[in-house]
Amino acid sequence: MPLDTSTYALAHLRLDGRRWNELRRLHAQISTQAAADGSSYLEQGNTKVLCTVSGPQEQKGGRGGARDQGNEAKVDVEMNIAAFSGMDRKRRARSDKRVQEMQVTIASAFQSTLFTHLFPHSTITVTLHILSQDGSLLAACLNAATLALIDAGIPMSDYISSVTVASAPSSDQSLDEMDPLLDLNGLEEQELPFMTVGTCGRGPGGGEEKVMVLVMETKVQMARLEAMLSVGIDGCKQVRGILDGVVRSHGKRVLESKVS
Amino acid sequence: MTSLKRSHASTSTGTTLSSKTYLRTLKSGKVQKVVRELYLRQDIPCSSRLCSACLDLAPGGFHRRSEPAVLSATPSATKHYPEGHYLVPDTNAFLSAMDVFEIEGNAFQDVVVLQTVLEEVKNRSLPLYNRLIALTKNEGKRFYVFFNDFRLETYVQRDAGETINDRNDRAVRKACAWYAQHLQQAAKSRKSARCPAVVMISDDKDCLRKATGESIIASNLETYVSGLPDADRLIDMVAASSEQRITKEGRSQLLYPDYLTISAMLTGVKNGTLHQGIFNVSPYNYLEGTVHVPAFDRSLIIQGRENSNRAVSGDIVVIELLPKDQWKAPSSKVIEEEDVGKNESAEVDEESPEGIVSERERRALQDEVKKAHGQSTEGQKQPTAKVVGIVKRNWRQYVGHIDRDSVRSRNSDSRAQQTVFLIPMDKRIPKIRVRTRQAGELVGKRVLVTIDSWDRESRYPVGHFIRSLGELETKGAETEALLLEWDVQYRPFPKTVLDCLPAEGHDWKVPASTEDPGWQGRRDLRDLLVCSIDPPGCVDIDDALHAKKLPNGNFEIGVHIADVSHFVKPNNAMDKEASLRGTTVYLVDKRIDMLPMLLGTDLCSLKPYVERFAFSVMWEVNTNADIVNSTFTKSVIRSREAFSYEAAQLRIDDRSQQDELTQGMRHLMMLSKKLRAKRMAAGALNLASPEVRVQTESETSDPVDVQTKKLLDTNQLVEEFMLLANISVAGKNFEAFPQTALLRRHAAPPKNNFEELSNQLKVKKGLELRTESSKALADSLDTCVESSEPFFNTLVRILATRCMMSAEYFCSGTQAESEFRHYGLASEIYTHFTSPIRRYADLEAHRQLAAAIEYESLDASLQSKSKLEAVCKNINVRHRNAQMAGRASVEYYVGQALKGRVIVEDGFVMRIFSNGFVVFVPRFGIEGLIRLRDMAEDGEKEPEGVFDAENYSLEIKGEKRQAKVELFQKIKVKISDEAEKSTGKRKIKLQLVQ
Ligand SMILES: [Zn+2]
Repeated sequence: MPLDTSTYALAHLRLDGRRWNELRRLHAQISTQAAADGSSYLEQGNTKVLCTVSGPQEQKGGRGGARDQGNEAKVDVEMNIAAFSGMDRKRRARSDKRVQEMQVTIASAFQSTLFTHLFPHSTITVTLHILSQDGSLLAACLNAATLALIDAGIPMSDYISSVTVASAPSSDQSLDEMDPLLDLNGLEEQELPFMTVGTCGRGPGGGEEKVMVLVMETKVQMARLEAMLSVGIDGCKQVRGILDGVVRSHGKRVLESKVS
Repeated sequence: MTSLKRSHASTSTGTTLSSKTYLRTLKSGKVQKVVRELYLRQDIPCSSRLCSACLDLAPGGFHRRSEPAVLSATPSATKHYPEGHYLVPDTNAFLSAMDVFEIEGNAFQDVVVLQTVLEEVKNRSLPLYNRLIALTKNEGKRFYVFFNDFRLETYVQRDAGETINDRNDRAVRKACAWYAQHLQQAAKSRKSARCPAVVMISDDKDCLRKATGESIIASNLETYVSGLPDADRLIDMVAASSEQRITKEGRSQLLYPDYLTISAMLTGVKNGTLHQGIFNVSPYNYLEGTVHVPAFDRSLIIQGRENSNRAVSGDIVVIELLPKDQWKAPSSKVIEEEDVGKNESAEVDEESPEGIVSERERRALQDEVKKAHGQSTEGQKQPTAKVVGIVKRNWRQYVGHIDRDSVRSRNSDSRAQQTVFLIPMDKRIPKIRVRTRQAGELVGKRVLVTIDSWDRESRYPVGHFIRSLGELETKGAETEALLLEWDVQYRPFPKTVLDCLPAEGHDWKVPASTEDPGWQGRRDLRDLLVCSIDPPGCVDIDDALHAKKLPNGNFEIGVHIADVSHFVKPNNAMDKEASLRGTTVYLVDKRIDMLPMLLGTDLCSLKPYVERFAFSVMWEVNTNADIVNSTFTKSVIRSREAFSYEAAQLRIDDRSQQDELTQGMRHLMMLSKKLRAKRMAAGALNLASPEVRVQTESETSDPVDVQTKKLLDTNQLVEEFMLLANISVAGKNFEAFPQTALLRRHAAPPKNNFEELSNQLKVKKGLELRTESSKALADSLDTCVESSEPFFNTLVRILATRCMMSAEYFCSGTQAESEFRHYGLASEIYTHFTSPIRRYADLEAHRQLAAAIEYESLDASLQSKSKLEAVCKNINVRHRNAQMAGRASVEYYVGQALKGRVIVEDGFVMRIFSNGFVVFVPRFGIEGLIRLRDMAEDGEKEPEGVFDAENYSLEIKGEKRQAKVELFQKIKVKISDEAEKSTGKRKIKLQLVQ
């Protein structure tokens, strides 16, 4: 029996040695698949996601069908969770309820930040391959999709960056003294109440800051929510900075190769 | 929201990434590969007050409060470490000698608990882990948890081919080396000449040798302790170190077979060749145990020392079925370790040529009884098994006394270390071999010991002595002994708990103004004519009642329960203490409260003539006692009178009393009889357990007399309405929280539990016991009467009660709804609501009900199934232990009341063995064994017995007297008390009178 999250209170150290406000190592690459219109590969700790984007392309299945939203592009998200990605080898069907829910969450988040009105009667397909899971899956998918969509050159109002945040009692004396924990790994996710926050924009001077995604499936006391959310939003901003760095250095490389 | 925003330190600086990979085996037998990231950092402080470098190092949590340094700047010095020292124990040091780390006083302070060690301790023993965590929170002890696996300098990567143990030992040494060097630097920068030594404590020879090679100061526990000022006392608490055991291994033979590996056990259990269950030892025969496993209806028998293979009663074991030709019938003999194992020497046991089973034991087990032919349940062979492995030890601390015969030198001045036997109070626990230097002093005392290990080469488990409770037979020592034996927390409430009480103390009052927040959501029921009915002298009044006739001919009934949840808020120190205690424990002369006195006997107690907060359940019922509707509300009441059962009965019976309060009580009485009739018709059981009351003289509290408890109609009146309230609340809570309602269930007993009793009744009395449903059982119990002997029915009920399962608390999400049933009460759903002052389950039910009626929001701890399950598990144990402690207390006082007296009383034969029989004496509620051996007159040899298992009889053929004893027979017994020779302990002795 390894230690669990209850030891956090002893020294304010989490199960993997992080402090409450530290992200895991976030590593990302852009344009990893030459054949796709846009692609990215992202690692958030041991959660590893490969994302490809195709489109915008004209909608199949004829015009004027029930699915045609007419004057704006539709965002489709497909998730493939590899059987080897989790601790147990387990195949998840595409129809799995949890997978479907995440697909819908991601699609609706991007539906409103992408300039879909530029591509009427068309579809943008985002495909996510989950290679390894260790917590914060939805957040990693959102971040990977942002990068791949940028790579595909689809105009958007701003990045969507996302992170998970949990609530851990910092000492068992009182529950109001709790620490929000940023960017959970798989173990923490199992033991603590948590939520996934995704924001768009970086606040003053960088466009309006909006919460685009907020998913919470565990119960938590109302009193803890505010602190969790504000730490989550700050975390999203950190992630945004890292994603931005990835995009910029990629751009730089592309430019340099064009020049030479 | 802006107020909560904080700046963040960047992630990438200051940490280095590493990872660890390991395999783990799940309960299902599956193997998982786990990969985890590790972020190594340099901002983990050493936490010594000497060190200024670490002072500003640690960023605190979200609340920016960094922890102050723990370890003293001037730790205590000893002979070997004159400049003071910090201890760094390894895992085994904690596992083998947690008691010594826990002692109060100046020893064992300033201890660094390494993360590696903490993790290993948790792996090996959860209770010890919890005790260690408690130590780190004890400010006086100054235990600091150093997360060495997260600090860059002390992190150790496991090498290829290195075992985990070796890696962990290396991690401990590395941390010690770092600490030593770090402190030297700290001392230097302070320009202080004194630098405390960092002392590694380990009993592993190899590790100690390596440490010396790496110039780390290291010592084994025993050597370390012997350098302390109070060495003699402390050394007993240190378990015989493994080093000593290793040296013995060379010459001694292995007495017991080895256990299977964990994976072999798991595989075996999974594919059905092995079985897992809890090992229970028979209270009549210490060499016979049973294990109930799901695959068999009947419990499997484990007979003899070799087959039980070092399992101690209560352990979770894995067993293998023996071939059919080795199956045994359950022993029909009483075998007590004290008789058989007499004269064994604690010291020389290993060299004894007999091996594992002594000749005496072998003879004791052989049934040389002349059995009648034919088959009966008692003589039949049953599936028999042997223990092949232990899944989990359930060892605890045991109370007992030292076997006087095993003490070599009785001179109390002698400080020589010797090995003695400790005989536990619990007869099912084997005697424990203990090494001590205080044997002389401990003889004749009640002592507390713990088992450390039971190795293959030792016939008995090895333990160590913790402390002495006082002289045998003294009230103080015996009371403490039974509290310890049943794990009752009896220390005074700590200050943190008392701080949670209302500041007004006894002056607290229900706020006068109904505008006060305390009144919010409460109904004003002060004008209701409420009264309480309790045993005489009751001060913690949980419940009060009222009834009044409504204009439509129906009745309004109210059950008002003390509003404890108003005073005890979830998760504060008082709540935690109450949840640990689980229940108030009632001893004959003492009450150990679950909640502080101020609440239990004053502020919560529904005392008469004062206003109190209450939680009320009110019904409208028709004249047939059918519920028309029910309401639940927080309220304020004013009880008009507190009656004893007798006083209430007199008042109801007294026709001259015609006031409204008395009328209300008469309504209650009338309705309770109807409720009871309905319950009985539905199949509720009327069970019996021997209950006696000890009368004590108040001043000296020496018992003067023993009486069986009388039951009045008013007892039943209160009981009926409490049951009704509990059932109503259970339904309401379950409706509101289908997954997490705290309920109480009583499973139907498996059919074959009654097999023996029903056979006995058939053979001896020609009566039939039907057990297909609780209704059938209730009805057939009513027919088990003997016109000449009214007690016979009670006797059958007592025996039937022992065949039942015990009721248990559970969380509704963990059982199918069909399993909710309470068999004994014949109710589909049940919980405990009516005694929140003295039971924690009721307090939790109050909180759930308050949330269900939207009075307040539900605490997170009551929404989590796993947390509630843990609560249920604990209170189930506490509940049982409290009952046992109460019973043991009555037993002790009955013994005291009989001291020096010789009484002849009626008794009933409850059970027959081939070498004795058990007699129950209703007058004192005592149960005692009369062995054939006891029937011999002085100088006579043990009379011969002819045991007829089929007809449950034992014929005694002594030199001077002949007698025949049959089951259920009424006999005359002489009751006296006798001092045991070996211990000086007094024991009640029963003898058959012709
Ligand atoms: Zn330091």
